[in-house]
Amino acid sequence: MPSLVIDNRSVEVPKGTKVISAAEKLGIYIPRFCFHEALGAVGACRMCAVMFLDGPVKGLKMSCMTEAKDGMVISTDHPDAMRFRSWVIECLMLNHPHDCPVCDEGGQCLLQDMTVSGGHGIRRYGGPKRTYRDQDLGPLVGHEMNRCIHCWRCRRFYQDYAGYRDLGAMQIGSRTYFGRQKDGRLQSPFAGNLIDLCPTGVYTDKPSRYEGRRWDYQRSDSVCPHCSLGCATMLNVRYRQVIRLEARPEPAVNGHFICDRGRYGFGFANHPERPRKARIDGSEADLQTALQEAATRLGEVSAEYGAGAVAALGSCRMGLEAQVAMARLCHERGWSAPRFYLEPDLALRVHAAARSLEPELALSQTELQKADFILAVGVDPLAEAPMLALAMRQAVRSGATVALIDPRPLELPFPSRRLAVECGLFDVALPWLVRQAFGAKKRRKLDEIYPRLLTVAGGEGLEKKGLRELKKMARLLAKSQRPALVCGTDMVPQGLPGGAADLVRLLREQGKDAGVFFVLPGANAMGAAMAAPEETAGGDLLEAMERGEVRALLAVESDPLFGFYDRARLERALEGLKLLVVLDHLPSVTAAKAHLLLPVTNLYEAPGISLVNHEGRLQRASAIQEPGTPLDQYGGGGHPPRVFSESTPGGDLLPADVQLEELAGLLSNTNAETPRLNAWEWLAQRQPGAAEAVSNGAPVYGERLLPIQVGQAALVEQPVASPVAVGKLELLVGSWFASAEELSSYRPIPAGPEDEPALWLHSETASRLGLETGGPVRLVLEGGELPLTLRTSDEMNRRTALLTPGKGASWQMLPGRRTLLDESAIQRADRGES
Amino acid sequence: MGEKVLLQNRRRDRPATLDEYRDSGGYQALATVLKGVEPRELIQMVLDSGLRGRGGAGFPAGRKWSFLRQEAPHPRYIIPNTDEMEPGTFKDRVLVGCDPHQIIEGTILAGYANQAERAVIFIRPSYELEAKVFEREFSLLREEGLLGENILGSKFDFEITLHRSAGRYICGEASAQVKAIQGERPRPDKEGHMTESGLWGQPTIVNNVETLACVPHIVRNGGEWFKNLAATPEGAGTKLYGVSGMVERPDCYELPIGTPLREIIFEHAGGMKAGRRFKACLTGGASTKLLPEKHLDVRMDFEALAKIGHRLGTAAVVVFDENACLVSACLNLLTFFTRESCGWCTPCREGLPYMRHLLRSIELGEADEDCIPRLKEMTEMMDHSYCAFAPGAAAPVKGLLEYFEDEVREHLVRGCCPYKGV
Repeated sequence: MPSLVIDNRSVEVPKGTKVISAAEKLGIYIPRFCFHEALGAVGACRMCAVMFLDGPVKGLKMSCMTEAKDGMVISTDHPDAMRFRSWVIECLMLNHPHDCPVCDEGGQCLLQDMTVSGGHGIRRYGGPKRTYRDQDLGPLVGHEMNRCIHCWRCRRFYQDYAGYRDLGAMQIGSRTYFGRQKDGRLQSPFAGNLIDLCPTGVYTDKPSRYEGRRWDYQRSDSVCPHCSLGCATMLNVRYRQVIRLEARPEPAVNGHFICDRGRYGFGFANHPERPRKARIDGSEADLQTALQEAATRLGEVSAEYGAGAVAALGSCRMGLEAQVAMARLCHERGWSAPRFYLEPDLALRVHAAARSLEPELALSQTELQKADFILAVGVDPLAEAPMLALAMRQAVRSGATVALIDPRPLELPFPSRRLAVECGLFDVALPWLVRQAFGAKKRRKLDEIYPRLLTVAGGEGLEKKGLRELKKMARLLAKSQRPALVCGTDMVPQGLPGGAADLVRLLREQGKDAGVFFVLPGANAMGAAMAAPEETAGGDLLEAMERGEVRALLAVESDPLFGFYDRARLERALEGLKLLVVLDHLPSVTAAKAHLLLPVTNLYEAPGISLVNHEGRLQRASAIQEPGTPLDQYGGGGHPPRVFSESTPGGDLLPADVQLEELAGLLSNTNAETPRLNAWEWLAQRQPGAAEAVSNGAPVYGERLLPIQVGQAALVEQPVASPVAVGKLELLVGSWFASAEELSSYRPIPAGPEDEPALWLHSETASRLGLETGGPVRLVLEGGELPLTLRTSDEMNRRTALLTPGKGASWQMLPGRRTLLDESAIQRADRGES
Repeated sequence: MGEKVLLQNRRRDRPATLDEYRDSGGYQALATVLKGVEPRELIQMVLDSGLRGRGGAGFPAGRKWSFLRQEAPHPRYIIPNTDEMEPGTFKDRVLVGCDPHQIIEGTILAGYANQAERAVIFIRPSYELEAKVFEREFSLLREEGLLGENILGSKFDFEITLHRSAGRYICGEASAQVKAIQGERPRPDKEGHMTESGLWGQPTIVNNVETLACVPHIVRNGGEWFKNLAATPEGAGTKLYGVSGMVERPDCYELPIGTPLREIIFEHAGGMKAGRRFKACLTGGASTKLLPEKHLDVRMDFEALAKIGHRLGTAAVVVFDENACLVSACLNLLTFFTRESCGWCTPCREGLPYMRHLLRSIELGEADEDCIPRLKEMTEMMDHSYCAFAPGAAAPVKGLLEYFEDEVREHLVRGCCPYKGV
């Protein structure tokens, strides 16, 4: 631990720390442009020069390039250092346009701050300024190259950190240009980070242009609701409208970055058709009346058919508070078990993951970056949890190998080993691989302790070639010290999540620092498991509706019609209900069918919500803006507001948990004065992990609420190989996140080319069936035909077909999430037909 | 004139052939080494000879080689640097053009000393003729068993390939050169050492071709002999001095290292052109300081020049007469450097155009007094750039302000260039 003196204060830092970071430990911010904690030091801008007065290095040196050493005495405000830094700013300002008053970065510009604080005020350079041509980088990121100060952060992030090649540096010297070969939409799904990284206004947030200044916004710490990773975001709100989101540095979770889906997915909050007024049978009513009506009608159904005829369906996009309130209501009223998934199998898999996630097994994104071998099974990172791909890439950059077991054509920004077996073989392939990683002697011993491993010893269902690849992966696993297992819950066999955690435990017993990283179906899937651990005992909700056992459905922040594979069947079941009550903030299809619609606030409105991410970490998406219709939607775009009223237009909303609590009060019809436990205390009584994090009735955020106690459910104990039979194809639907994750599907930003409906086949399968890549095909299903474009890949499984539905819901006519098809169901369509 | 070593086979019409090179003792060194000299002994020989790198920095060649750890991984690479893009410098071209085999033999010896598998000659695009010479000789050498597997019947395998540069000044810098070969954007990279992680992440040695050409002679004649070639006790070997500008006989001269500058210009290069008077010269290409008449007696060696605040660089002497406007000359050089900056760090990317702007306004007589201290300040700031490019680019201006400030001031006083129309 070198100890050094900076500005007359001593500090001790770990070996290898750069002086610039050592100073930061003392709270001394050394000016910088190119240095960035996540991108590292490259010594390009020369802005962080400090004076080394004594010790192993002497003179004016760059603090980002110099490692802290014992005995160093450093002055950050030595006159020579100040003079040099001021000169660097002068150089950077030679060509920088003086357009701060109209620049979108103005007020949050590092260059502006440094120029003002660095002491360069009077322009001495009298020559012409350099100008560039700007490019159109698509609908998300603006480009103004004249403002560039060449810190190289964009290129370093885009190519080195994120692994995409379509933006980079061109030309040399003072003509160096950062951009693309040609104008066009940036291909990286992480491109929005350029906006946060750019120290000046070259890359700006395009959708929020001209909407306001940094100081105009109400800002609060938020959490991304678009997948289960729960990345930290910074919310910017103005005039009751979400204007933009930025990444918020959170070292324990996502580091410095977020994905573009998370950054631009907030459109649902400002949606013009968002329900803002309660509705009773289609007519507007005020919220209190509607709540009263809901209580009355729910009570009627309960009285007529029994309490069990009322069911509640939540989701994993809602806050933990509402999840708890909903589960509690079901318990207290004796309703059918609370549910958060329409598909009981999916609930089983998520619960298996939640149950097996012991504190020492769970990996966060930043912990995954440190793995030296990553095995991912049944996950499409870019589709299901984009930041996972970025974390995996960082591990690869530090020397890790990534091995993927998945039938789909996965496009990832790093090299990987692949085994494209069908989903039905995961259960065999994974344990076989792990078993193979141990020597023969150990293997025999293992087989005794873990008979599960023995049953797969033969590698049943796997082809020779596949076994060879698995052996190679096993060798890498055997060599690794910190292996990580990434396990999906979408299209994996029922036993896989639990089995995967068992294997990680086994590896830990063998001395490896192994961990597991589950990818779950929503931002608060863990919260749902905590709130309703008994969910899977409730049975199939859809079947119960069809049988008439459930007569009233309370759908809380849940749109079951979105993304369900058999839409017609679900619609019939919903129509058969006596009562459909919907609490939501989305203008959803289900909400449109509701007898009673109760509008709720979303996570961007006060007081915000709590979410539990995939690793069990409790996080707070706080919000300070009061709910209401955005000014530009009711004020005719007028600014400042000229309409005066006593209440906020469109603000007659309450958070879902408050409404559910009110319902509970209305339904209980006792005026009991006995103090009721608050939601956190109620949860703490049921969840041992939460108990630790709750003190005095309030939770501690940022902690993991592990372990999570989930009711035992029947699981497939013995892995069974279920390969796809010859002549058949297994049809998978592009992850429910692929192009239309529920919340971000409401965003107004134009869809990319990836949103076109397509069917993917292995190129050999396609040519065997006489189908042409890029040509039109018909997918013939029982419910009808789907016109699609055929895409092929050499890396996917030969007996798997992947349907990527894109925008629009016409694909929802399948018998299940994974469907066996006859090959003849895929037919060539004539051009023009589709 | 002293003994000719590197240019002993020089003829004006064509490069020496393999046979001619052999007749002059060529490939004997390689045969001797492969018969039983250990790589370590070879490195020691080069260390003992006092050979210093001829590319400009003057780093002892043997020491560079000894940095490569014995247990370092394979494959290892040698990169003979033939990117000679320093303005005024043409010695490497002469060397390849008159006796390519001594470079090749030196390269194979460097490969053996460092137990490398392959050399990649990085050559400037305007040296296409020389590139063809290399390629022709390579195929000949393979037939003769001097290149490829089991060289001269030994167990040593070695290959040489040629990489044609796309042509940028910065590619001459070792780490940028490696990036260029890898197809990446060339820029200097100070992270890590070439001997640990160079070309394709493998241990790599980058040597100037003149340095490599000295190695066979050192092996054949011994380190002591090589040391004695120098004009001074502290120097070692001969040196190729490329003299150009307003001299009677501009050419590349091989002379004992440490020969006084006055002797090089006024004896070997035949003195100034008739009727011209010496005013200043560059000592080692465009990235060295302008040197005034009062220092003409300096010995042209690394140490001697460093003592008076100058650099030997590539030993390319560019001579200016009394009619040359040095402001204009510096502006010309700075225009080149401004164009060739890789754009990585601020002082170089933004500072050089700034300096060029100031020099241009001085040359046009549009500048005021203030620009002289500003220009001085800039040359000092350039010392804190990422690599040696920016201080090198600023060097001529440093010399201009140190020795010829009056001439600069005259521009300001007259409001125009005093040499225009002379």
